[in-house]
Amino acid sequence: MTAESRTDYIYFAGMALGALTLVSSIARAQVPPEDPAARATAPPEEPPPEADGADATLRDTSALPPDRVVQVANAKPPAPDDDALPPESPSRGERLLDSLMPEFHGFVSQGFIKTTENNYLANSEQGSFEMTEVGLNLTKQLGDRLRVGMQLFMRDLGPIGNYKPQFDWAYIDYRFFDWLGIRAGRTKIPFGLYNEVNDIDAARVPILLPQSVYPTSNRDFLLAQTGGEVYGHIPLRPIGALQYRAYGGTIFIDETDSINNIEVPFVVGGRVMWETPLDGLRLGGTVQAVRLEFDNQIDPATLASLKEAGILTPDASEVIHFEFPVTMWIASVEYSAHDVLLAAEYSRWEASLTSSQPALAAPLSTVNERFYVMASMRAAPWFSPGVYYSYNAPDVADRSGVDGEQHDVAVTARYDVNDHWLVKLEGHYMHGTADLNPALNGGTPTAELAPDWGVFLVKTTAYF
Amino acid sequence: MDRVRPHNLHRSPGAGALSLRRRDVVVAVILALALVIASDLKAAELHFVLLVHSQTSESELDRVFVTEAFLKKRTRWPSGEALRPVDQRREAVVRRHFSNDVLRRSVEAVRSYWQQRIFSGRDVPPPELDSDASVVRFVRETPGAIGYVSAPPNVQGVRVVTLK
Repeated sequence: MTAESRTDYIYFAGMALGALTLVSSIARAQVPPEDPAARATAPPEEPPPEADGADATLRDTSALPPDRVVQVANAKPPAPDDDALPPESPSRGERLLDSLMPEFHGFVSQGFIKTTENNYLANSEQGSFEMTEVGLNLTKQLGDRLRVGMQLFMRDLGPIGNYKPQFDWAYIDYRFFDWLGIRAGRTKIPFGLYNEVNDIDAARVPILLPQSVYPTSNRDFLLAQTGGEVYGHIPLRPIGALQYRAYGGTIFIDETDSINNIEVPFVVGGRVMWETPLDGLRLGGTVQAVRLEFDNQIDPATLASLKEAGILTPDASEVIHFEFPVTMWIASVEYSAHDVLLAAEYSRWEASLTSSQPALAAPLSTVNERFYVMASMRAAPWFSPGVYYSYNAPDVADRSGVDGEQHDVAVTARYDVNDHWLVKLEGHYMHGTADLNPALNGGTPTAELAPDWGVFLVKTTAYF
Repeated sequence: MDRVRPHNLHRSPGAGALSLRRRDVVVAVILALALVIASDLKAAELHFVLLVHSQTSESELDRVFVTEAFLKKRTRWPSGEALRPVDQRREAVVRRHFSNDVLRRSVEAVRSYWQQRIFSGRDVPPPELDSDASVVRFVRETPGAIGYVSAPPNVQGVRVVTLK
């Protein structure tokens, strides 16, 4: 590490610490000492009866021993007294309005990314604010079994997104039984534990989920599919419960200047999670197969020179057709109880690439290896630190060289300023360049990029 | 390879220290178990009352059933009627008790669970009401409802159930 990059680390860490301290001071100043949320951090103590809004409809339990609810519940209630209820029942009109109104939720996130070396996800070496996400969703329950919903989403992440709005999900859901439901439309892909929340900052502790398994730059390929899904929850008492989801459909991917006619004939997959009898422990696996087909246009000058050199036949087309089937599987384990979260996942992605012009693009076949281990805990209702280690090898047959693998050690902290606003800080030490994109680094091959580098991120999200 | 037997360990140099360490481990395990049991006993000191609508036939409910109902993993009573859980506001002490003792997660962890469900389009959380009285009213007026309050209610139309 150079002296300059060390200075970068220290400078950025100082800025981040200062920002956190400032935000912390503001938030604490806003929370009065008697706020119940603040009291929640104190050791458990018996609340006074009035603390929960006890009123005339309820019996005073202060005289009861602190025993099991069975005893409390079996205590003979006094004679019924309907008049004890306060007259706060909503009117018929209000109820009708409530029944018609969908439920709205939304979020807006803004991040900043800075790397000591190499550009990662954005032009990060200079520091970049190109890290924005906005989402707005509505859902409506129509009867006991039917539900509809949609989420509009847009983002900007370096060269990706550019604030183009799109449907993140939009579906109709019918639940026949707890063990069988169907969903049709655009649905999020349940790959592993957290793929569905890869772009939902409020739903997790880290800013970046482990990028080996949840690459945010591949969001368009991995996050959602358009088709159908069956799902269910099957109790298996006394050995827990089984949750399953199986889906199939297609993925719509935008064309680029050189890659067009992109088609995904199918994406199919399934996830099974076993919720063990130990509270919060679940184990599972996901398998997914997807096939991409696309064309690559060769410019006329290049085509002519290739024909002249005898690499292509005289009747060769300027369009090369590619087929790219990928099979992915992942094994997952998560323990999430009380305020602790431990998770680990191991995944392999097998891909092959064939083209209509093997002389130009020889068939390729690779197997990636990806895994991570992660831990976080809620140290206080407003503060959750976390740490993870993530590993990615793009080709298990050849891990040599600086771009043969990437190790990522991350330390992160989430600060919940209030119920609708959070701030996160995160630092990564990276070894290897396997995840880097040459296009973001001036065309420099990944093998020639700096092998040891750091990433610092700050992100804030407002949500409701 | 020869198996190492306990009496050999006692004869070997340092066996006393080894045996002490083993005893320490046993003591530590017993202490840990005692802590777990104590923690369970503490968890058993529940300070809420579970309510269901008066037409619901159940008189006692399994904790896992209640957990699945409030996390909406289960949406129907055994009779087939729709389950309609109702929560208390996040700051309520009774909610903290209910969350820790029944759901075995903190209120904040449950909130995080719902953030994942909301923004991935899976589901939305149960309604949150402001007071015990509001919960009693909701349960009384809503067939299939299940809620919790800090003390037994004093009205008709709701049934107090026990937690297994």
